[in-house]
Amino acid sequence: MKVLADLHNHSCLSPCASLEQSPSLLARLARERGLGLVALTDHNSALNCPAFEASCRREGLAPLFGIEANSVEEVHVLCLFGTAKGALDFGLLLRPLLMPLPYDAEKLGDQVVVDEDELVIELLDYYLGAALTMGFDELCALAASSGALVIPAHVDRPMFSVSSQLGFLPPGPYDAVESMRRPEPALCGGLKAISGSDAHYPEHICRRPFAVELPEGALELGGEGLLECLRAALRAGSLTASWEGQ
Amino acid sequence: MRISEFAASLGIDMETAQGVYEDREISSGYSSDLLSDVMGNAKADGVLVTVQAHKNAVAVASLVGLAGIVVCNSRPLPADMLDAARVEGVAVFRTPETAFEVAGRLWAAMHKP
Repeated sequence: MKVLADLHNHSCLSPCASLEQSPSLLARLARERGLGLVALTDHNSALNCPAFEASCRREGLAPLFGIEANSVEEVHVLCLFGTAKGALDFGLLLRPLLMPLPYDAEKLGDQVVVDEDELVIELLDYYLGAALTMGFDELCALAASSGALVIPAHVDRPMFSVSSQLGFLPPGPYDAVESMRRPEPALCGGLKAISGSDAHYPEHICRRPFAVELPEGALELGGEGLLECLRAALRAGSLTASWEGQ
Repeated sequence: MRISEFAASLGIDMETAQGVYEDREISSGYSSDLLSDVMGNAKADGVLVTVQAHKNAVAVASLVGLAGIVVCNSRPLPADMLDAARVEGVAVFRTPETAFEVAGRLWAAMHKP
């Protein structure tokens, strides 16, 4: 079955995202706009994944749980898990690697952990937008060995991408690459590129989804089963990116 | 040395990418292409010498309190970067020279006896 998916979305936990963009609003707008499979991928943290899980359950939407990790070279990579716990555990591995930069919430934006009813649980006092003290290769290997889907983010962007920071896509344990527009083949490493909304504001949600062919029942399966179905589909290239028309 | 004097004194092709900026006294320079590194180590009232030509570089400059950004190697300057620089009052210049050359000129200008 063909599923409209979007694996790159932020919530109010990301300092650069809209405060309005709670996990529950993300889930609700994703369903209203026709997505069947949605991932939450905040910068360097998965702390809003439990709220996202509860919100998706309420909406009847299949979730994946991720982190957009920022390597020491400032390359962003999506690391996606089947369960909120998987993402939270990976977040615990990253936490000691996060560079301690001065954080001014006024200038950089609030980082809000919420529950599924938008009640504030915590305001983080350390900056999530910082780089991790781990190189891109090692970070991708760590994510893969933790069971994640590994997808270098927006490979064609002039910032925070393999093309802007490294100049090329090194070999690695990738399941796909994400691109904003039809990418150069050299940036894809022989993989099919997915599109992704990189939604920081409600109006961004579902702006660049991709369609993916998944086995019947995969969405209902959820968790690790869904993640592995998606991994197989991505690696087989059974998808249509937003620039290909859906 | 004010940032306008710095730009004029280098004797190189220094394109003033946007005319609206606060002409501040500059106190230091910092050369880096990693924005985390700039955030952690650059000093207020400094000039950033970099190849990072995008609006996040302006955001970091504004955050640190930098007076200006010199974009090297004639990298194209996107319109949203210049818009952000105008709003923040950050000077943005562009030059065909490398970061090594610009930093050398800046250091020499600041250490003139």
